[in-house]
Amino acid sequence: MQPSRRRFLKTSGLVLGAATLPPWMLEREAAAAAAVDKVKLAEIALATARQLGVTYADVRINRYRNESIFTRERQVQQVARGQSFGLGVRTLVNGTWGFASSQNVTDDEAQRAARQAVEIAKANSVYERQPISLVPAAKVVTTWKSAFAKDPFDLPLDDKIEFLLKINETAMKVKGVNFVNSRLSFVNEQKFYASTDGSSIEQYIIRTAPSFSVTAVDFAKGDFQMRGSLGAPKVIGYEYLETYPWQTEAEQAGHEAVEKLQAKPVEPGKYDLVLHPTNLWLTIHESVGHSTELDRALGWEADYAGTSFLTPDKLGKFQFGSRLVNFLADRTQPQGLATVGYDDEGVPAQRWYLIKEGVFIDWQTTRELATLIGRPSSYGCCHADSWGSVPFARMPNISLEPSRDKIALDDLIADVKQGILIYGTGSYSIDQQRYNFQFGGESFWEIKDGKKGAMLRDVAYQSRTPDFWGACDGLGGEASYELGGALNDGKGQPGQSNAVSHGCPVARFRQINVLNTAPRRG
Amino acid sequence: MLLSEPESKALCDKLLSFVKADDAEVSVRSEVSSHLRFAANAFRTSGRREDTIASVTVWIDNKKGSASGNEMDDAALQGVVEQAEQLARVSPVDRECVPSLGPEQYSPTLAYVQATANISPAPRAKAIGDVIAACEKEKVVGAGFHEAEGSTIAGATRHGNFHYHRASRVSLSVTARTREGEGSGYFLRNHFDIARLETTRVAQEAIQKALRSRDPHRLDAGVYTVILEPQAVADLLGFFAFSFDARQADEGRSPFSAPGGKTKLGEKIFDERLNFYSDPWHPELPGSPVAGTGIPAQKFYLVRNGVLENLIYTRFWAKQKQKEPSPGPVNGILEGTGRPASLAEMIQETPRGLLVSRFWYIRPVDRRTAASTGLTRDGVWYIENGKIQYPVRNFRFNQSLLEMLAPGNVDLIGSAERVSSAEAQGAYAALLPPLKVKEFHFTSQSEAV
Repeated sequence: MQPSRRRFLKTSGLVLGAATLPPWMLEREAAAAAAVDKVKLAEIALATARQLGVTYADVRINRYRNESIFTRERQVQQVARGQSFGLGVRTLVNGTWGFASSQNVTDDEAQRAARQAVEIAKANSVYERQPISLVPAAKVVTTWKSAFAKDPFDLPLDDKIEFLLKINETAMKVKGVNFVNSRLSFVNEQKFYASTDGSSIEQYIIRTAPSFSVTAVDFAKGDFQMRGSLGAPKVIGYEYLETYPWQTEAEQAGHEAVEKLQAKPVEPGKYDLVLHPTNLWLTIHESVGHSTELDRALGWEADYAGTSFLTPDKLGKFQFGSRLVNFLADRTQPQGLATVGYDDEGVPAQRWYLIKEGVFIDWQTTRELATLIGRPSSYGCCHADSWGSVPFARMPNISLEPSRDKIALDDLIADVKQGILIYGTGSYSIDQQRYNFQFGGESFWEIKDGKKGAMLRDVAYQSRTPDFWGACDGLGGEASYELGGALNDGKGQPGQSNAVSHGCPVARFRQINVLNTAPRRG
Repeated sequence: MLLSEPESKALCDKLLSFVKADDAEVSVRSEVSSHLRFAANAFRTSGRREDTIASVTVWIDNKKGSASGNEMDDAALQGVVEQAEQLARVSPVDRECVPSLGPEQYSPTLAYVQATANISPAPRAKAIGDVIAACEKEKVVGAGFHEAEGSTIAGATRHGNFHYHRASRVSLSVTARTREGEGSGYFLRNHFDIARLETTRVAQEAIQKALRSRDPHRLDAGVYTVILEPQAVADLLGFFAFSFDARQADEGRSPFSAPGGKTKLGEKIFDERLNFYSDPWHPELPGSPVAGTGIPAQKFYLVRNGVLENLIYTRFWAKQKQKEPSPGPVNGILEGTGRPASLAEMIQETPRGLLVSRFWYIRPVDRRTAASTGLTRDGVWYIENGKIQYPVRNFRFNQSLLEMLAPGNVDLIGSAERVSSAEAQGAYAALLPPLKVKEFHFTSQSEAV
């Protein structure tokens, strides 16, 4: 039974009061934003750049807001709000990029940043060996807002705190649970883009990310096990807290953390795997998402994230996976973290196949990359994580299409003699060309003779990307499809974060290598 | 532009003047960074960023709220303080509240060189142009990243504490790949003084590794004796310092937790020649004069002669456990006692083993033993009878760091040098030695180059 709200607030020490930001504060925020004439500022920067001889320039004037609440057990550890506001100017001079930015969003600084970006580009162009050019993009003057019902930044804090403490309370009620950490993050991006193409685009994006982790400790043995939440961050408003079964999952997580302490260690070997979308999304991200980035294939990420085994000569020929496997790139996907109206160089959001019937058929591109493979236009994958960051190729939402048949989880399990069912993400690692990977999970269940059995522990699967996707022989239908994702996909130098989602149905993979990751005994 | 100490103090004082709450901690950070990135032997992106961030945490009736912003006019700063206070008013009581610090004596460290923070585009373009020319001369394809930054951080409290620190850093990483894609080399170094960054050396080391790693042989995965270059040690230990948290250990969920609700404090769980410590005044690796707890940083041992000597106590947890808050770590130094072995000596004394240049994509798989998985990258060579025989393909490993550094498993320890985790892109540094380890667990092969 859940405690009443009043009792709950009392026990958690929460004092009711002016529980939301007062109107004058919101008004001040709105007034500060309105005081900046972004179109005028952008025109100052672009005019300066034009005078200095650029072939292209763009300006971003962005405000980022975030709100985070951290709790553990019955206490709130941190309630914080942050804002970051600034402008960035990117210039292309003599086929060489330059970029400069400023936190002071004024006429003078817009001019200074433009001049500095040109100065950097000119200094570098002396040594430029491969001049850069861009495919064209249509002039766009518009605004775009992500879909949400309730803007979390306008809503009371006490409800958000109550939401988290209730999760903690629910999990802590499970006998054997020792600790719960929970977190609620909201992100708001207010992005303005203008370019020498004549485009001027304003976008407003809301992302909501609840998460928690439950720990059970066996103090006598010096052992502990954790179970993290399965619900993914999404482009959605506060309504996500009310529509997803967070409390049910918290209770389940509590039981599973405790059960894991006693669960049977997995015997290493080959198993048929049935992977829930809460696990498979991350495998898609690492093995499909990053391998189909054209900048990687061209060696542009060689010094950090790496290159790709999908070299340009493989396009249209390489059998990436079984014929069941179709991967769609989609920056229009509802609730997708990489869903936008336009990318950071004014290209509209699009939807296209990367892998069709198992064959690798297309790339992720930007305006700069599209020219290098003779394409007339970009797929719109350019993104910068801040006004102070240089935009470059980032991943769109990339999802595995479900079966058209009504296939459920149990149907996939029914055809497995000896296998493992995996939920949630755990440890993850993949090589720099995206071949060899290893993934863990949150909870693991034995499959024997077509039935889900007892819980297992210490499981990780290790495979090679084309072998793994080639071993896919079963996909769930639309009803089993879920969207996973992360706010913090890292790439680039300096490192930048990208929020990206991956949808998929439940899926089955034959004879995959499974390891036991537990410390060796004796 | 970077803020001077008086400018920082004035901003902190201004923030505190707006505070109506019972207690407050404020900080002002300014930073300037610039970079040049190249790949496929051509420049890719280059830019400069400046930012200043004001952060405020307040307590009202033991309730806490925090806010931050990067607009520095009076109205915006007041807005940040008011937002923190508003959040505090509607928050529950902070049960882990400790009063903010009063005045403390911080001993400054020399971590800033103006020429590093103020690098201009033209000489950088020439230096990286030379790196690319060196790659072309050796017929390899170069990619890399040159970044320079300056930063200041000032903090103040309502109880009269104030501190200011400034630092600079320049880093260069180079990856060289042979044109046929069968060999790859990497080298990364950073320093707070741009005059000490050896640009030519970084490029040449990467190029030579690429050339020496061509045509790798296949070797079965398994348990091998390994010689880890300092870069490989930096990659492996990059996350390790986070494991030393006292509260996690006391709560039974750390590699330093022990059966019966105890911790491993005082136990010799590492090779007895190993010391792992933090020293804010180390001339090669100056750290912040302020520990994470806000108190003055001091030389602070986590591991001495193989014994787990300290865990890291926050001010709250120290109070709970009647201990002193930890005066560190503010940097990481791993050293061996006794005569250090050179890399050449390590190779000569190896009947059969592997020389590992670096690791990649390391992630924890089991917190109980600080076990991680990851892969070798950019150069692995097979050693037999004291000589490097040939390059081999990359491996995936699954390895406990506690077991790797345990008594009996560390064979030889070299001289510590300033290195940085590749995944952190040279943003941090540590003084780490090459290590020869008797048993290291590789679990599969990777064909990636």
